[in-house]
Amino acid sequence: MYTLLFVVFEILPPFMQNPSLPARKSFAPLLLTLCLASIIDLGAGWLLRQPHLTQPARVLIAFLPVPANLVLVALIVGTIRKLDEFLRHVHLEAAAIGFLLTGLAVFVYGYLQRASALPPLNVGIVWLFMVLFYGIGYVIAARHYR
Amino acid sequence: MKNRLRVLRAEKNWSQAQLAENVGVSRQAIIAIENGKYDPGLPLAFKLARSFGKSLEEVFIWNEPKTG
Repeated sequence: MYTLLFVVFEILPPFMQNPSLPARKSFAPLLLTLCLASIIDLGAGWLLRQPHLTQPARVLIAFLPVPANLVLVALIVGTIRKLDEFLRHVHLEAAAIGFLLTGLAVFVYGYLQRASALPPLNVGIVWLFMVLFYGIGYVIAARHYR
Repeated sequence: MKNRLRVLRAEKNWSQAQLAENVGVSRQAIIAIENGKYDPGLPLAFKLARSFGKSLEEVFIWNEPKTG
């Protein structure tokens, strides 16, 4: 999800404007790894829904998506390092806003849970908070420097 | 910090995209610098000045902060 957001916000618009920028060369490997990681994620999810698997096998399957996603992390970090100083600045602000707002959202969720207003926190929701608030952070930072 | 980027670019008849490509940054970076919203680091500032054939001081004007 983060990669998709990163591609949509960062790689595609400047890629159209200036394809010679170094960061743009990371586009194809990033997209390929994203596809591969998504396929592995979906496959692992499907396998974990199978009832006949033993517990150790389930634990092993749970770790299946890790290598491809680590490659994805490395590629994203590499791409960020190739961005120009201004875009790195915008991404730093977006990441800071995303991190802090996610923390705040989880904090508020925790209190609402204690107040019995919400069910126990699903980890997937935290992931959604991260993506959502990173996107909001990016828009805020990009507008600030426009 | 003020800069004369917009004026110098107009003199050369360059678009923001052309200047961005010359110095190897995104157009967003040029827009932000021209609007005074972002102060570039030294390497980029030197690249920008060199692309116009000017010295750093001819492109970027440092405003001394008022003290006392």
